[in-house]
Amino acid sequence: MNKNIMLAGVGGQGLVLATKIISEAAFRAGYDVKTNDVIGLSQRGGRVWGSVRIGEKVYSPNIPPKEGDILIGLEPLEAYRWSHIMRDGGHIILNTRQVYPSPVLLEEQEYPTDEIEALKDRYNIVKMDAIEEARLAGNIKAANTVLIGMLAKLLDIPLDIWEETIRENVPSKAVDVNIEAFYRGYNYI
Amino acid sequence: MKAVLTGNQAIARGFYEAGGLIAASYPGSPTVEIMETLKEYDEIYAEFATNEKVALEVAIGGSLYGARSMASMKHVGVNIAMDPLMSFTQSPINGGFVLVTGDDPGMASSQNEQDNRIIGKFANMGIFYPGTSQEAKDFMKTALELSEKFKTPMMVDITSRVCHSRGIVELGDREEVKPKGFTRDQEKYTMLPPHNFKAQHFMKERIKDLEEYAYDASFNILEEVEGSDTLIVTSGLMYYNLKELNLSVSIYKLGMVYPISIRRMRELSHKYKNIIVIEEMMPFIENELKLMGIDCKGKEYFSFTGELFTEDIEEGLHRAGIVKDRKYADIKPVNTVNRPPMFCAGCPHRPVFDILKKLNVTVIGDIGCYSMAVLPQWKASHVMYSMGATVGITKGMNKAMRKNGDKKPLVSVIGDGTFFHSGLPGFVDLIHQADEEDNMTFIILDNRTTAMTGGQHNASSGRYNQADDMHVDIKALLKSMGIENVQEVDQFQYKKARDIIRQATKEKGISVIITTRPCALKYKIKEPHFYVDPEVCIGCRTCVKVNCPPIKMKKYEGIDELKSSIDPDACVGCSVCSQVCPVGAIKRSQ
Repeated sequence: MNKNIMLAGVGGQGLVLATKIISEAAFRAGYDVKTNDVIGLSQRGGRVWGSVRIGEKVYSPNIPPKEGDILIGLEPLEAYRWSHIMRDGGHIILNTRQVYPSPVLLEEQEYPTDEIEALKDRYNIVKMDAIEEARLAGNIKAANTVLIGMLAKLLDIPLDIWEETIRENVPSKAVDVNIEAFYRGYNYI
Repeated sequence: MKAVLTGNQAIARGFYEAGGLIAASYPGSPTVEIMETLKEYDEIYAEFATNEKVALEVAIGGSLYGARSMASMKHVGVNIAMDPLMSFTQSPINGGFVLVTGDDPGMASSQNEQDNRIIGKFANMGIFYPGTSQEAKDFMKTALELSEKFKTPMMVDITSRVCHSRGIVELGDREEVKPKGFTRDQEKYTMLPPHNFKAQHFMKERIKDLEEYAYDASFNILEEVEGSDTLIVTSGLMYYNLKELNLSVSIYKLGMVYPISIRRMRELSHKYKNIIVIEEMMPFIENELKLMGIDCKGKEYFSFTGELFTEDIEEGLHRAGIVKDRKYADIKPVNTVNRPPMFCAGCPHRPVFDILKKLNVTVIGDIGCYSMAVLPQWKASHVMYSMGATVGITKGMNKAMRKNGDKKPLVSVIGDGTFFHSGLPGFVDLIHQADEEDNMTFIILDNRTTAMTGGQHNASSGRYNQADDMHVDIKALLKSMGIENVQEVDQFQYKKARDIIRQATKEKGISVIITTRPCALKYKIKEPHFYVDPEVCIGCRTCVKVNCPPIKMKKYEGIDELKSSIDPDACVGCSVCSQVCPVGAIKRSQ
């Protein structure tokens, strides 16, 4: 299995932990893996992105243009912003919950709803309000775990490895909620 | 055993395995996590110091005693530490000494893009340049060994991508290295004439020895391809980005980018028709080769600023005639609405900058989360350069204004972390040659933590958090300097804070206002959320302009005009929006 996974979201959404969980699961399943995430100034509500590259041998953590297989959009505008990195027909897992950026909050620019809608013409897109789904699982903070569950359906990594990795990376009192959130995502696709 | 580690974690692991004992740092992206990881190892003394200069000095002390020691800091942090660095590196090193510096090509989280390889050379240090987490760990260990072998200080220069990138690392056990102890020797450790005369020659010889060692050292890797007339010289992540292109060219990958083996390069230059250097930022390797008299090309094809991705390398090599058909020629990035960072919901900086914006005063800013007041949605801070600089700059501009008969006030903002880091000397200088026409208001945003880098402690955070052990009272400290007019204000009492700040800007002299609310990210506010009553809201957007993530204009059913709204999932209940609302339309939910 060779997969290039891009993650895009807003600072504070927990993107760094999501890339960590995905990369550790891939490592435990015996793959070479490299990841990237941009942190720093951008963590305060700015745009953040990360990548996870899984394969037999991975050189660079950066995904070259048009070589992305799966894009996890923690937020729709951010998924749209990074869609150029995807190969045509690639999978987009989209959390539909919008987070308006400052220029939209201040009514200087429109949120690009039509452009986001048009992503379905080029890519294989699965949408979900991950916040609502996580609320059903018990805590809205598990939203990314729902999306990881959806991702797991597209990857060749055994479920027990996912469970084990999630267990070791989320706060102990949040384990059950996250496992529930994971399967809600996994069974959605 | 293997593990997935970030570059930062791998640096810390390398230091641990190599028997490192003393480590100090000042938090700055991209290298913060190195010290956070080191603090988890009981065997190592690890601290976040007041600033990078102190951190470096702590590491120097450890090394002088013969303990393996390191200091880590972001690239601009080394500027703060330059003075001790430039003198210390003249000495023969006792305990292995490594300065880890995080460069930031592309400036994802920095005010400049300085290339610290230049500083490494300037300070007569050997420089390692890792490209993966495994290399970060390995080079750290090798750097400590070489430091002792050649009695040389070493630099590990790691770029922000490699700091944050994760990869699989083979873990080893720790090998204890007992400190050798300190032997008094004026000639080695006191840098006065004539001792420092000799030191110049010693440093020159030391670099020469290291340069000779580099000839066949295993960290410099030569990959020769039969029939290739091109040699690419590269290092770090650029090697891995290049490998993505799968080209049939020879590559010389430098693990140590300074010094470079002259003998090796001369041999290679006789073998290859073209030598091309791929490196981010300055033409450092390129210049080193040119100084050796080697004909090579680099920055002619590759940008001197920003990161170089695989597609950029392909483009440069295409222009160099090495790549014929480009795979990544037609990349069109999506051009859409930008998303500048914002103050968090409940951030204590928000009311302060809302007040300053409305007062329409010139604000001299500094480095921290409050730097974001310069962003387009605020434009409430008008000068920003470097840590602690606001104090002296404010004084100087104030003096120039008074000389020019300009009576306007000046406001300076500085956080608590920055205050201790390097704001202090500026404050000590303030009352020196004070003039009755001076009008300077200093707002110290005491949020009880070094927030921008993830909430590390600082010298006053113990007053708020019992887990921290430093309790410096900023107000008492300023008073002891002779600064009398110091007030504390809770900025979540918006109108009171506004009146105090406004009054201070109207009065001549030096006023200091310390705002007391802690960082909302570290000390979460968990109050009932607020909501907008659309029947009362007049749609004036005063609340929207405080630029809080949950507040936006919305279409309500049965109401034609847009009215304000608050996302209850994101509101933490700080109340600032309700206090700026002119009609009382924003109400607490409980």
